[in-house]
Amino acid sequence: MQSPDSRTQKISAPEPDLVRTGIAGLDDILNGGIPRGNVILVEGLIGAGKTTLGVEFVYRGASLFDEPGIIVVFEVSPDKLMRDALRFGWDLRKLEQQGRLKIVFTTRDVLRQELQQADSVLLEEAASIGARRIFIDGVARLVGGTGTPDSRSGFHVLTEGLQRENLTAILAAEASSFDGNSSTSLPEESIADTVIRIKMEDSQRAIVRSLEVVKSRGQDFQMGRHSFRIINGRGIQVYRRVQAPRKPSRDRAAALEPTTRLTTGIPGLDEMTNGGYFVGSTTVVAGISGVGKSVMGLQFIAEGARRGERSLMLSLDEQVEQIMRNASTIGIDLPALMKSGLVRVEYEPPQEIEVDVHFHHIEELVKEFKPKRVLIDSLSTYGSSLGTTGRIFRDFFHALVALMKEYQIVAVYNHENPEMLGMNSMMGSFAMSSLVDNIILMNWIELGDSFRVGMTIAKTRASQVNRTTHECEVLDGHGMRVLPRALPAPKQPFSNYASLVSRTPERRSTKVEPDESGE
Amino acid sequence: MRGSCELDLLVFLHRHPRTLLTNERLAAFVGYEMKQVAKSIEAFIDAGVLERTQNAIHAARMYVLVLNGPGDGGLKALLKLASTRTGRRDILQILRPGQLQTAVDITQGKRRLHAIA
Repeated sequence: MQSPDSRTQKISAPEPDLVRTGIAGLDDILNGGIPRGNVILVEGLIGAGKTTLGVEFVYRGASLFDEPGIIVVFEVSPDKLMRDALRFGWDLRKLEQQGRLKIVFTTRDVLRQELQQADSVLLEEAASIGARRIFIDGVARLVGGTGTPDSRSGFHVLTEGLQRENLTAILAAEASSFDGNSSTSLPEESIADTVIRIKMEDSQRAIVRSLEVVKSRGQDFQMGRHSFRIINGRGIQVYRRVQAPRKPSRDRAAALEPTTRLTTGIPGLDEMTNGGYFVGSTTVVAGISGVGKSVMGLQFIAEGARRGERSLMLSLDEQVEQIMRNASTIGIDLPALMKSGLVRVEYEPPQEIEVDVHFHHIEELVKEFKPKRVLIDSLSTYGSSLGTTGRIFRDFFHALVALMKEYQIVAVYNHENPEMLGMNSMMGSFAMSSLVDNIILMNWIELGDSFRVGMTIAKTRASQVNRTTHECEVLDGHGMRVLPRALPAPKQPFSNYASLVSRTPERRSTKVEPDESGE
Repeated sequence: MRGSCELDLLVFLHRHPRTLLTNERLAAFVGYEMKQVAKSIEAFIDAGVLERTQNAIHAARMYVLVLNGPGDGGLKALLKLASTRTGRRDILQILRPGQLQTAVDITQGKRRLHAIA
């Protein structure tokens, strides 16, 4: 009988010999690569990217990891394969000349017979260059058609032949019946060690590609469907799905620096926020279009640059040139700040945002540029692109918040609240205020015959909050500032009114006594 | 180069420089009688531009086109010309002068071939 200690003792499994695919993003999903010798079945529709994936696997092996390889094709001629590979910058001809690659044209019948023989000519060819990888394009009809007992048996023979040589093999199979909800699987899947399904799906009239590792013997991997793209000049880029767990440090990093604050860049706002935003905090500035959110954001960025801190602005609403022009009207020389290397402004069109791809871009920007401040303008544009009712937006925002916290970035998100006067809710249908540390409400307030701007700190985590509404103004050449509570006549200060955010502000009937600060 | 079978076989092998096929399939791909294709293959092997695996057990053979010799530049240029319909016709006219319509065609065809090779 086992002792309690021996039962609870952790079994240390040997580290698997992983073959790195070299395909950008794929090895992350595979937690490093694929166990050597695995037979990988890649299934997908015509045009999904199976051939590109298989060719890149062999190309990267030969060019990056000193692992020569073989490509076996049935229909496409090798010269076309080479021509298409050049589109991605892969010079297969050169690899052939260097003896690190062989492209073999054959028929399925011949291949089947070949692999049934112990002294296969094909495998001898592989051995002659020390091949460690093989890609066979189009195995689904290798014997008798997909899914028949014959095809399963033929596939088994094929995998046995490959395993004799300890080749790590990608076998591409055309699958014509995958749809989003189908659980249909090819019988060959049970024989293959690793199964990767590639899909092309219609999304709002656009076609998006995704990839799913269905199984992979001998290793752990990131489950679920991950987006991928085929990029000219590069090849395949896999984008881990935004919901997939990242390294544990990301979620633990919430408050590494509990005391440091970064100034907001808005005169008067630092006082309202007890000195600025906490490092690693998330702030949402909510208000109707034109109320001054982007101005606030630009001042936040410029303030960072003034203090020598790198700042990143990601815009989905306005292009960079337009943002530069806007900045110049409030006295910010954005081109100069960008030239100094302290400020980076990126514009991404909001149409057809693929959430995994977009998040990957932000992640790469953050890793590369290492900003201390990030401004995202605006959350509402994400909402119109991704929708606010499903989980995608919330998961995306959650991942974004975690990323910023991991890198101890002060992140400010502008959010357009559609209500012109007053607000019924802080974030509208964007039900994620619980993820946010600070919420600043910006309101139009109609007094007399003019709209004035009111600012209210609705939420500040880990700080004392004064929810008094302050008036703000934006001056040409200077930007936004928070006005003192007491204003000289003839302007009536906000403190003379009640219910400023309730759509029906009223003059107070009695004179308001100044508070302790004298205001 | 003696005829269209050799030319077409060479073009096929150029597009598929390493091919594992049975003689029947190879003949079918090229579009000629098996005997004719076999004869052309032997001619290429003798000329040193083609390598073939020798294994009695296997029905399929691995054919590898070898175009690395010092004199293979002209052959590559010929293959480039033969990859177009007009170019192929020009070459065949040179190879089969009896089928040409006029002596001018022969002269023009030869000039083009010389210009390339």
